Amino acid sequence: MEAAAVAHEHHGPPPAHRSSRVEAPTLGMLLFIMSEVMIFGAFFTAYFFIRVVSHDPWPAPGTKLPEAVAGVNTAILLSSSLTIHWALSSIRRGNRFGLKAGMIATFLLGLTFLSIQINEYIHIGFAPQDAAQATVFYSLTGLHGAHVFIGLCALAIVTIRAFRGHYSPEHHLGMEVPGIYWHFVDIMWVIVYTTVYVL
Amino acid sequence: MAFNPLRSEADAFRVLVYVVVVVALIVAIVELVRAVS
Repeated sequence: MEAAAVAHEHHGPPPAHRSSRVEAPTLGMLLFIMSEVMIFGAFFTAYFFIRVVSHDPWPAPGTKLPEAVAGVNTAILLSSSLTIHWALSSIRRGNRFGLKAGMIATFLLGLTFLSIQINEYIHIGFAPQDAAQATVFYSLTGLHGAHVFIGLCALAIVTIRAFRGHYSPEHHLGMEVPGIYWHFVDIMWVIVYTTVYVL
Repeated sequence: MAFNPLRSEADAFRVLVYVVVVVALIVAIVELVRAVS
């Protein structure tokens, strides 16, 4: 027994192509998020071209953006970051109820956000082809909405696994990595909301 | 341990809080300048 434990003891640098500071799944998510930032940057370039380079009015004349509804939606999405943080803090302390309740709350808040955004598209009164501003509006919010959808898929998997008894105070990387992604989605929305609706 | 924004969920959450605070400050400054000018 003791010999087996000694055999597994590892000294020196980590194995090849592995970091001793960051877990491989976390590093993968980090690199993925960096590529995502570049994709959003490309879409923001179109936005800034319209507003800064060509000095076009924002939004397009005759159109109006529902800042208040989107503001409430922002609060909903930010709340979902709080609940997923609570879920992770709970499992770190071994609190399975907090994990499950936090994940369900996060999923429902994310779903509410996406539903409100779809409802906004239905009632907003302009289409992507109507003006350059409309194209940029649908592109930025739609790109973000797609990320919310992917995030919801990941959250659903984490929630199901949580109810099946997965995760423990020692092993919860499977929910920590989607949690990092979810916070990234929220950060991007704060920036999208501010630039598209507020400023 | 040194602060790394994306090493863990807790650090990513802190980044989110920082972003919200910074963006709120930027919006407040822009609105103030608009109101004054």
